[in-house]
Amino acid sequence: MKLKILLLLLICGIGTATYSQIKISGKITEPGDPSGLPGATVVQKGTTTGTAADIDGTYQLSVPDENAVLVFSYIGMKDQEVRVGKLRIIDITLQSDATLMEEVVVVGYGSQKRSNISGAVSTISSEEITELPILRAEQALQGRTAGVQVAQNSGSPGSALTVRIRGISTINDSSPLYIVDGIPVSGIDYLNPNDIESINVLKDAASSAIYGARGANGVVLITTKGGKREQQGQVSYDAYYGVQSPWKHMNLLNAREYAILANEAHIAAGRAPLPEFANPDLLGEGTNWQEALFQDAPIMSHQLSFTGGSDRSLFTFSGGYFGQDGIVGGAKSGFERYTARINSSHQVKKWLRLGSNLAFTALTRNGLPENNEFNTPLVRALNIDPITSVRKYDGTYNYSVYADTDIANPLNAIEQTHDTWSSNRVVGSAFVEIELAKGLTFKSTYSLDATYAKQDLFFPKYDLSIDTTLRDAPAAERSVTNTVVKSDYTWRNWQWENVLNYEHTFNTRHKIGVTLGTTALENNFVFLTGSNTNLPTNNVLDAYLGNTIDPRTSQGAGDGISEASLLSYFGRVNYDLDDKYLFSATFRADGSSRFGVNNRYGYFPSFSAGWVISREDFWKAEDISFLKLRGSWGQNGNDKIGDYSFTTIVYSGQSYTFGPGEIITNGNAPLEASNPDLRWETSIQTNVGLDVELWNGKVNFTGDYYIKKTEDMLSRVPIPLVVGVRSPFQNVGTIENRGLELSLQYRDKVGEFKYSLGGNIAFVSTEVISLGKGGEPIVTGNVFSAGNVSRTEVGHPVAAFYGYVTDGIFQNTEEIAAHAFQNESTAPGDIRFQDLNGDGIINEDDRTFIGNPTPDLVYGLTADFQYKGFDLNVFVQGTQGNEIYNGIFRYDFFYTNRPQSSMERWRGSGTSNFEPRVNLNDPNFNARASDRFVEDGSYLRIKNLQLGYSLPQSLLGKLQIQKFRVYVSAQNLLTVTKYSGLDPEIGTVGGALELGIDQGFYPQARMFLTGVNLTF
Amino acid sequence: MKRKNIITIEKSAFVVLLFLSLAACEKDFLERNPIIGSTLDNYYKTESDAVAAINATYATLQFEMTPAGHFRWFWGDIMSDDAVKGGSGDNDQPQLAALENFQGPTNTEYLEAEWAADYEGIYRANVVLEKVPAIEMNEQLKARILGEAHFIRAWFFYNLVTIFGGVPLADHVLAPSEYNMPKASAEEVWALVEADLRAAAASLPVRSGYPASQLGRITKGAAQALLVKTLLWKQNWAEAKTIAEEIINSGEYTLVPEYKDIFTTAGENNSESLFEIQYMSESGGNWGYNSNNEGTFANVFQRARGQFEGYGFNIPTQDFVDEFFKEGFEDPRLSSTVFREGDQMGDRGLFTKEAVGGVNVFDFYPKKFFNNKAEEASFGDPNPNGGTNDRVIRYSDVLLMHAEASYHAGNEGAARQSLNLVRDRVKILEVTATGPALLDAIYHERRVELGLEGHRFFDLVRSGRAVAALGGLGYVDNIHRVLPIPQSQIQATNGALVQNPGY
Repeated sequence: MKLKILLLLLICGIGTATYSQIKISGKITEPGDPSGLPGATVVQKGTTTGTAADIDGTYQLSVPDENAVLVFSYIGMKDQEVRVGKLRIIDITLQSDATLMEEVVVVGYGSQKRSNISGAVSTISSEEITELPILRAEQALQGRTAGVQVAQNSGSPGSALTVRIRGISTINDSSPLYIVDGIPVSGIDYLNPNDIESINVLKDAASSAIYGARGANGVVLITTKGGKREQQGQVSYDAYYGVQSPWKHMNLLNAREYAILANEAHIAAGRAPLPEFANPDLLGEGTNWQEALFQDAPIMSHQLSFTGGSDRSLFTFSGGYFGQDGIVGGAKSGFERYTARINSSHQVKKWLRLGSNLAFTALTRNGLPENNEFNTPLVRALNIDPITSVRKYDGTYNYSVYADTDIANPLNAIEQTHDTWSSNRVVGSAFVEIELAKGLTFKSTYSLDATYAKQDLFFPKYDLSIDTTLRDAPAAERSVTNTVVKSDYTWRNWQWENVLNYEHTFNTRHKIGVTLGTTALENNFVFLTGSNTNLPTNNVLDAYLGNTIDPRTSQGAGDGISEASLLSYFGRVNYDLDDKYLFSATFRADGSSRFGVNNRYGYFPSFSAGWVISREDFWKAEDISFLKLRGSWGQNGNDKIGDYSFTTIVYSGQSYTFGPGEIITNGNAPLEASNPDLRWETSIQTNVGLDVELWNGKVNFTGDYYIKKTEDMLSRVPIPLVVGVRSPFQNVGTIENRGLELSLQYRDKVGEFKYSLGGNIAFVSTEVISLGKGGEPIVTGNVFSAGNVSRTEVGHPVAAFYGYVTDGIFQNTEEIAAHAFQNESTAPGDIRFQDLNGDGIINEDDRTFIGNPTPDLVYGLTADFQYKGFDLNVFVQGTQGNEIYNGIFRYDFFYTNRPQSSMERWRGSGTSNFEPRVNLNDPNFNARASDRFVEDGSYLRIKNLQLGYSLPQSLLGKLQIQKFRVYVSAQNLLTVTKYSGLDPEIGTVGGALELGIDQGFYPQARMFLTGVNLTF
Repeated sequence: MKRKNIITIEKSAFVVLLFLSLAACEKDFLERNPIIGSTLDNYYKTESDAVAAINATYATLQFEMTPAGHFRWFWGDIMSDDAVKGGSGDNDQPQLAALENFQGPTNTEYLEAEWAADYEGIYRANVVLEKVPAIEMNEQLKARILGEAHFIRAWFFYNLVTIFGGVPLADHVLAPSEYNMPKASAEEVWALVEADLRAAAASLPVRSGYPASQLGRITKGAAQALLVKTLLWKQNWAEAKTIAEEIINSGEYTLVPEYKDIFTTAGENNSESLFEIQYMSESGGNWGYNSNNEGTFANVFQRARGQFEGYGFNIPTQDFVDEFFKEGFEDPRLSSTVFREGDQMGDRGLFTKEAVGGVNVFDFYPKKFFNNKAEEASFGDPNPNGGTNDRVIRYSDVLLMHAEASYHAGNEGAARQSLNLVRDRVKILEVTATGPALLDAIYHERRVELGLEGHRFFDLVRSGRAVAALGGLGYVDNIHRVLPIPQSQIQATNGALVQNPGY
């Protein structure tokens, strides 16, 4: 009975509720297509009440009262809101949001509609950023925008990326300025890519000149997600899990082949072959060190976020975890990152707004040595002989009796590596914005970017000897002492920025915008390190500084400290007439403590103008719905010149030992000359561009051509060594970049099948115009067995490869006699080098430029397909016209392994014209820097292939879920390249002039992932 | 309405104040000088500054990787008939092989590194000579410091003139307008060397005049010994003889009784040491330019490869070893100079070719820079720098220079006496020869007594015997008596420097 009453009450209750509701119905369509938009959604604003349109685009929905506001939306369309009022049938035609020209673009100290921008600015949206699982935010830039070249420095988890906007424009640091929510930050590895709302790249000087002395390499503006006004609270969970594996092994000699070549080499050198290689066939395949080195490794990410907003307050909370192990060393090169973020803003008074953004990141990265030919696991695995087994019979790691000096067992070396970098970083800002009068606002922002990091290193004792008293293992396989090193790093940067903004439209035609501001900024860096050797125990858990029995001789310490400051004044005026004629001018004055006293302030002007031709009355071509011509000119600077380069420091530590106890006695001396005239590098850039939109946004095209000249480039002009100190930095060099950037997007739909295709391509050519008085080339790129292989010289690209030109193989002694003199011991089977200057002798004067590490063009292609709930995304990216110097193999040793192509060696007249004879010695220096080691580094890579399925709205509406999507994805699925090494995608490691030299890069993994996106 | 205006004014005032406060602190805000380390303007004011300045000048004596190697034994031994390059094979430092065959290119990093290190030492000595006189300090100490600076400057110019011939005479800290300094003649460089050494000898204490804690500092004897060498180059036999006798008669130096003890760790700064560059192994593992270590890389470079954990450079030739058998018996010094198969390499094991392994295995390895495993640094580097001092000038060298000078000055008796003092120490027959045979005996004695100590190439050139000894390797007298000026320096001076003839 009671139950019945309860049921009755419930039914009545529901009935009552239903009774008071208003039923709405209608049809959702798109322009020019009355067939309806199935799957389009209708939601009552501020609630989870909603539904999805049927197959014919019709819908029905009940709302509580006439004040309800309905939000109609569909992917690729602009949201539309309608207040119910007296309406009961609401038919809606949604407009395409494809008109990129209407999007709001973040520019320096403000934002503008894309249609009104006269500089060169590219935008990457949050959808594009999260499309592929990326570890670092820089990856989102790769292949997405024309003129931004991004290369992974290494496939090692957490490693930095090289980002170049419009090419390499200086022989010094070419990395761009990163501004996150108005805060200049040193690197963006702390950002969780999921937190990013948009990335805007300021490419031309006019756009970046408002950042003055820091803008020369382009500016990357990142905006993180905040809440939206009147937004219903939203919870999102995004996660993926994947497995990474190597996509390539190099083709190396197996044990049999190795022994055959070793035997021939001994005989050629007049020595008896090694007895153990008497029958190479018995040795078979031997050890595949690459197989032993590489492993599958997991990657995963979890992200939870909450956003919402009322009419006065907006907020976002988010937290994320990312973890990735390496395909070399697993956890030994693993990376973990925890992120948390709170963004909020509040309209306290009508004229007063406050807000703050706060991000915290804790990350841990384990490191293995990378990209050098001495101690990296990769070079060791590729160079160690295939005869040696990974382990001895007793299960301990084996050592090679053949490989020399540096080539130790890579697996043991990984196991003995304990290198952990962990950092805690807080990036936060708080602002006050006051509306002083209508259109006139003042904003004051204080921000802090503080990183507290530490590195823990432990080098244990080990000995791979069979009998440790005999020390039968080579030196590189024995470590007789252990050492612990612990270092603390603190970076603390603050900025205080004050900006006045005025916007007004006069007579509805003249739109004026004025921005004035000041910035004060200070960078501080403190470093402290301690070390301890000869620890009484050899366990990594005991690796602490105090673990010593003899503190006096075993412990060491060091420290460092530096600071820099910047004080700036800047302004901008925008004037738009009828939204047709666009003008903008900026000016910035930057004072920097890094500049010499004689040049404390730098001044950076810029101008730009645009003409929206399609808005002219005479414009009749309806197919071309938007057409804008742009032009800009501007100057900006690069202040990455070191904190104290202008002065001469008398350095301590120039020590000598005196006395019977060999007491280290301090000495002080200057090491370099000073330059009080030191200043920024100036870059002057002219840009012309064209924006075209066809058929109301179906096709979008943007093209830009620029000439960028970097003057006053800093170089240590090699003063004669007779001076006795290093030359100071001087503002001497000039580099010119010219480039063309094109991007094209096409969007269309056929029935329920929607697709978009996009592509961008950038051509850039770089030429060194001057390197100062004398213009002596800068020689870099040391490869141990070949010497320096890179040269930066006037009239050539930056750090181009330089060496000898091969001309086949000497087939007989007559050919040697007929050719220019190479070496007394040159024999048939040796490489013939071209006598470029025709003087009858092959020497250093016969070297020339043999390759360019910088691509002629960089491109990216994307394709998106949607059908009902399915979506497919393909992203292809590549470079063309760059070369790689393959410096992987240690030709200074003989008993190291070699590429399989060595089997094609010369064995007698006519047997080979490209692979020289084998010999224990190399009197002809066949291993010298030559085009033999320069390979085509072009590649095309299917960076991402992703297939997703979203549950239909009709189902989700009932579950009160806005979005539920699952996907599978493959990264680096296919790479097309002629390069023989492990990975053609090579960044900059070491100096700015160490480009495109492969000395054992950690290759990128191929990944297969599966993930989920859930929003409710 | 009024209220609103007030708010606006208040707000505006706040904004103006903000801007003003920024401008007010501007000057100090942008003045950032290094927080650690003095700058040139506020240094060289006190006695301790002066001491630190001369110590930093000593530090350049240790330079041997700046950043390429430029060891004394590169030029003195590998360039001569005593040793060949060695290493792991032909592609291990190939330019060095080219140099020793007199086919060297003119821009090798080794020569550039030598040039750079020499001039860095000269610069630091010049700083001392210019800055220290004005410092108010103990005058005796000041005189000593200036004497040390004179010696070190002379030492580097001596290296330059013997390796390159005439070079820029940077006898003061150069102003930017002087950077493109042309070469002075070899005679002018020699004159500066001589003047500096005389100044040093006049103001430096004798060896016993230093407290023990200052062991390793340059002495009057060192300055005199280098002056004797200089005078031999200039064939000023009479004065060379006189000054050598001043050293001999000073009573500061005696020969170590056992030859084999000279090159041990215990034999560092022994009774026959006149000029010895100090190294120690425990200062750290860092390699490279101006790095903070006090070690030498001669140890690791010269040790055999494989089990002996070295790089196998400076390999003694058969011709050199044969020299020890010239008198019909094995000279006892051979076993202190060269390792032969079957010899015990200290605590590192027996020298067998199997133990060396690799492609480039040699019959002989150099011994004078051999260090025991037990003496090696404990900082964990498998190939650490070592602590073996570089014995640049020993008393036996002084005696043999005295013999040579006396011979040429016509006093064969004095020549034989000094020569036989050296021979007596190793208990071999005294020389009784006269005339050219006596001179040959002195030359033989130099090669055997001072073998692999970086003298041979320069002895051959100085005494006009280089063509005979090295002609087969490609040595042409009027070209190869000096090495080429580094090509980079000719470019850096816009051609103000001129390449040596023949290169």
